[in-house]
Formats: sequence, structure tokens, C-alpha cells
Amino acid sequence: MKKNLKKLLVILISTTMVLSFSACGNKKTDKAKDVGNNAAAEGAADAKKEEIQLTLWSIATESDAFNNAYTKAIADYEAAHPGIKITHETFENESYKTKIKSSVAANELPDLFYTWGGGFSKSFVESGKVLPLDQYYTDEFKAQLSTAALNNATYDGKLYGSTYTTPVSALFYNKAMFDKYSLKAPTTWDEFKTVCQTFLDNGITPIGSSVKDTWVLAMTHDALTLKSAGPEKTANAVTKNGVSYNDLDFLASAEKIKELVDMGAFIEGATGLSNDEASANFYNGTVPMYITGSWMGGSILTDAPNPDDFDVAPIPVINSANAKITDFMGGAADTIMVSNGTKYPDVAGNAVFELTKSISKYAYLDGAGIAAWQVDYDDSAVNPITKKVAEYASNATSFTLWFDTLMDANEAGEYLALLQELYIGNLTPEEFVEAMAAQLED
Amino acid sequence: MEKVRRNKIAICLFMFPAVVLFATIIIIPIFMSSYYSLLDWDGITKGIFVGLDNFKELFTSKSAGFPKTIGNAMLLAVLSTFIQLPISLFFAIILGKGVKGEKFYVAVFFIPVLISTTVIGQLWLKIYNPDYGIVNAGLRFLGLDNLTHVWLGEQDTALFAVFIPILWQYVGYHMLLMYAGVKSISPDLREAAKIDGATEWGIARFITIPLLKPIIRICVIFAVTGSLKAFDLIYVLTNGGPAHASEVPSTLMVSMIFGRNRYGFGSAIAIMIIFLCFFFAVLIRKLFRTEEVD
Repeated sequence: MKKNLKKLLVILISTTMVLSFSACGNKKTDKAKDVGNNAAAEGAADAKKEEIQLTLWSIATESDAFNNAYTKAIADYEAAHPGIKITHETFENESYKTKIKSSVAANELPDLFYTWGGGFSKSFVESGKVLPLDQYYTDEFKAQLSTAALNNATYDGKLYGSTYTTPVSALFYNKAMFDKYSLKAPTTWDEFKTVCQTFLDNGITPIGSSVKDTWVLAMTHDALTLKSAGPEKTANAVTKNGVSYNDLDFLASAEKIKELVDMGAFIEGATGLSNDEASANFYNGTVPMYITGSWMGGSILTDAPNPDDFDVAPIPVINSANAKITDFMGGAADTIMVSNGTKYPDVAGNAVFELTKSISKYAYLDGAGIAAWQVDYDDSAVNPITKKVAEYASNATSFTLWFDTLMDANEAGEYLALLQELYIGNLTPEEFVEAMAAQLED
Repeated sequence: MEKVRRNKIAICLFMFPAVVLFATIIIIPIFMSSYYSLLDWDGITKGIFVGLDNFKELFTSKSAGFPKTIGNAMLLAVLSTFIQLPISLFFAIILGKGVKGEKFYVAVFFIPVLISTTVIGQLWLKIYNPDYGIVNAGLRFLGLDNLTHVWLGEQDTALFAVFIPILWQYVGYHMLLMYAGVKSISPDLREAAKIDGATEWGIARFITIPLLKPIIRICVIFAVTGSLKAFDLIYVLTNGGPAHASEVPSTLMVSMIFGRNRYGFGSAIAIMIIFLCFFFAVLIRKLFRTEEVD
């Protein structure tokens, strides 16, 4: 009997606790609502309408360079549109790729979601689960964001997303080390090779790269291919548009990779190093060159002990008959799309442009990315390397999206696998080009 | 009790939760995977029925390299059975005999099993680092510079470099199973043998090991099926690279499904893994049984 009494007591106490806790919670939310209502009443007339909740998924985690830009952009948007709340949920890059695919399959997309343009999102659009945005892309927006930048978010002539940054590949180099051996940033392949050889002669490995994270090596290979075959031919071959990959221009870039491997130009152990490990060797001055996307400009500021030592240059030209120094690998792949299942298509359709516009601004000011939208604000505080890349991007004669974004997922996986084999020496450049042509044929 | 056992409704009632769990978590997904393995499907749009094409591709496609992954998994199974298990058995017998600080050693050997595999992967990544890793640093210290390797980055060394931590990690697991087995053997038998003048080796050889046979059989099954399913450490250390050198069926499956959107092909690999695990589990049981008859 006594035991039972005790039990009863425990249950009673815990119920009271739970109830009082939830009561506290209620009070708090009430208060928050009051504050929100007041602000809304001051701001707009339609404040009495129920609050609109939008959910945005992105990969701008707290450690990501874009996190700050997203946070500020959302704050700006909410301030300009009282009554609309955006919940920002972030995920780690690699796991997000899996998450977003399964969410599309399971019909669980949030109102707004980050994705990659080009081949990656093709099946999403084909499945009919993404909202077409043409009617929301008004003239006002058109004046500030070029249709060319939205090329990768356009499928079958319809627009499905908006972007905020146009990253490009560039050659980042350690100016202090270059100066020590009185070298200049190379503009042609021969100059590039001379630079590599000079460093090698002085016992310095010239190029940092990761073959374990094969996309880093692909950055180098993509850029060399572009500078060998030119933008149209490259894009047409990779997207199976009537050009075979089995071609002398493509063979040339594969051979250049092989040449660099043979002369020992890539950092030792690149096959076993991740991008983080390899780029750390660049930041600390072990290797003088690193070919990667413009986001490295922001990372140099935070990760390198002497950010002033670094500079950036376009990728050298291999074949000047096909490509110019101002042709760039890159373009807007970062895209925000709207789910077809959203409850507020009009609000979300407009929000996607306003948000990307603000993200573009804040990310550029942070040095995290190259602005895709027109710069109509003071950018004198932007770090010099990012600014320089932005200048390159604004004067670019062409953008070609990276191979692994341009191709569909299966072909991209195969491309990276083949590239790894080329690097290791399992495939000769000839075999690599043939295998690429074969996989792109069917 | 007898009454309850004879009551059919009670049996059904008590079995029900377990059956539901087992069916929804194991049986139904296996059947769904079997169905997916017959499709050419990207996981999002509608799949196209292609019959056994995925399985045909498994064994013919050079770029996927499935036969090689099976070879790698088999090699791991052989190494686990013939290197890892003897080590576990050795420790189990020594500790089971009663050593000073027995509990302490059991705990120490079991620690690798408890630590998250990702953590272990990161530890070994540092150990193998070509620049500052302890392996290369040690070799350089000894003046053996020509023996240093990019352990996880060279095709010839990657596979074994990945296998070593896997074998090391689960020594403690098998040891614990066998240790429990050794402890459950009546000490009278040991003492009787000792009085008859048996050596320690003789006791182990003719008393402990034969009595441990059921446990060893379980360990072999775990080791072999575990090798066929091995995934986490390989994923962390090399992700199957370089150029598929350390690829096993499960890493290939993940890269096909999530890297390349080939759900159908990936499901075919999953079915093959399940099939092989069942096959070897049954085979090992048979082998041990025939031995017992002998």
C-alpha cells in the first residue's frame, strides 16, 4: 500500500512539473507573438493575416563561408516582409546530396531548397516536383541578374531556380614564393611548366591537389581542358552535343596532367590526402600553387597565416587558337529552387529572388563568393583576392560549368574514377580519352 | 507455463511484436531491394524494368569492377579468420586462465570496439599520413626512407593499410566472446588435466579449444559475414580508392546509389551481399558440423 502511495506521489509531482513547464512555454510564445504583432502593426497593413512560414534548406552550415550571408539575407527579408518567417535549416554538403535526393523521392521537399544547377537537379525538375519561376523573374530582377547566369537553372527553356554566386576556377599562388625565385604568374602552358620546373629545381613541390577528393584534381583537369579545346567544344563534348571526346584537344589536356604527374609537380601523397589536408599545405607555404574555385579567396583570409602573400591569376592557355585567357571554368551552380508542393507559391517565388539577391551581396562583401547579381553597393572592403577574381568573372568571355556538374551523376562519377586512374597511371592519356568518349556515347 | 505454451492465441500474441519488427526492418526491405535490383532506376523518376541486366552488368562491367570488390572482401574474410581469430583466441585463453589484472586487460582490448569507427578512422588517417604519420616518421627515424609509402594513396598498399585497422579493431570483440566461453568451461577439467600432468599448451589444445568450438564457429561466421559487409572504416580511410584499389562491395554499393543515382544497380549489389552472407553462414555451419561427426 505504501509503495502504491509513493508511486502516486511521484506521478502527481511529475505531472505538475510537466504542466508547469508547458505553461511557461506558452507564456513565452505568447509574449513573442505580442512583440511580433506590434512590429507588424507598425510595419504593414496586412499584419492581421496569419503568419506565413517558409522553410529553407541549405548547406550553409555554421562553419560554411556563406552562413553569415544567408543569416543576414533572411533577416533583411523578414524585416521587409512582416508576417513572413523563414526557417533556415542547414546540412553538411556531402550528406545533403543524399538528403535532397531522398526528399525529392519521398515528396518531403521544403518550400525553398538549395541545390546544384545543371545535371544534378535535372531529375528533380523532370519529376515535376520543382516550381517553374518564369512569372516571378520580373524585369526588375532581370536588370540585376543576367539570364546567362541562370543558364544552369534553366531546363527545357523554363527557369527553375535563382542563384547568388558565379564561382570560377583560378590559379591561386603564393606571391612571396614566386618573388623569391623572380617568377611571374604564368599565362601560357610553357610558362606554367617553367614555373613548375624552377620550383622543382629548388626542391619545392609546385602544385597542391587532392586526388582522394577527386573533384580537386578535376578542377585542374577541367580548366586545362577548357584552355586546350575552348568553351564551346568542351561544353558540347561533355553534354553529348555532337562532339566526340576522343579528340586531339581533349587528349592534350589529359597529356598535360600526365606530364605534371611525371615531373613530380603534384604534392606527394595527393592520392591519399583530402582537400583540407592538401590545401593546408598551400596555406602554410609548403606548395606555391593550387588550382581551385574562387571560394579559396575567402579561405586564404581565415586559414593562411600570411594572407598578404597570396595572389590569384587566370588559368594559363594551352592552345591559343581555341581558348583565351579570359575563358573561365565555372558559373552559377549554386541554386535555390522552390518546391512545387509549397503552400505559398507566390510568396516563395518572389522570396527566392529577393533572398538570392541579398545573399549575393553579403557573400561578396564577406569574401565568400563572387556576386552573381549586379554590384550596386560599396565593395571597397572586399578582400583583394576575391575582388580580383570578381573582376576576372565580370570580364570573362565565357563560362563553362565544371564537368561533374554538367554531366549527370553517373557520368560524373565515372569521369572522376577515370581521372583518378589517369593520375595513378593505370590509364594512358589515349585510353582515358577513349574511355571518356565511350562513356559519353551511350 | 505449460498451459500458456499450448495456447495458440497466446503464442501469436507474444510473437506478434517481434514478427512485425523483424518483417518491417529485415524481410520487407530485402524483398523491396530484390525488386529494385531488377530496375534501371535513379531513385527519383519512374524506374524501367530491365530484368537481370543489373546482375549481368555486375559481372561484366569493367568500370564498376564488382568481381574485384568480392575478391577484396574474400581476402579480408580469410585474413580475419586466420589472423584475427587466432590472435583473439590466444588472448582469450591467456586471460581466461586468470592473469593479474585480467579485468583491466579485457577492458583495454575491448576499447577499440567501443570507440566510434569514425574516430578510429581519423586516428589511423593520422598514423598513415605520409608527411607526419607515425609509420613514415618511424621508418625515417630508422633510416629506412626507401620503405616509406603514401600508405592509403598507393594502389599496392592501400588495401592492406585499410585491412590492418579493421583486423585490429575487432580482435577485442572476438576475444570477449571467446573469453566468456573459456570462463564458462568448468575449472575442474583444467585441474584434472593438470593433475594428470598436462602442459598449458596441452590443456589449451585438448580441452579448451575443443570445448570452445561452438563459440569459435559463431566467431568465424561473424568474421566472414562482417568482412563481406565491411564498410565504415574503409569509407573513412580511402572511400574505396585510389582507383578502386580498396573497394569492397558495400562501398561500391554506396557510391553507385548515392554518388551516381543508380539505385537499381546498387540494389543488385546489396542483394549479392545478402546472398553471399547467407551462403557463407550456411557453409561454415556445415563445415563445423561435418568436423563434429568425424
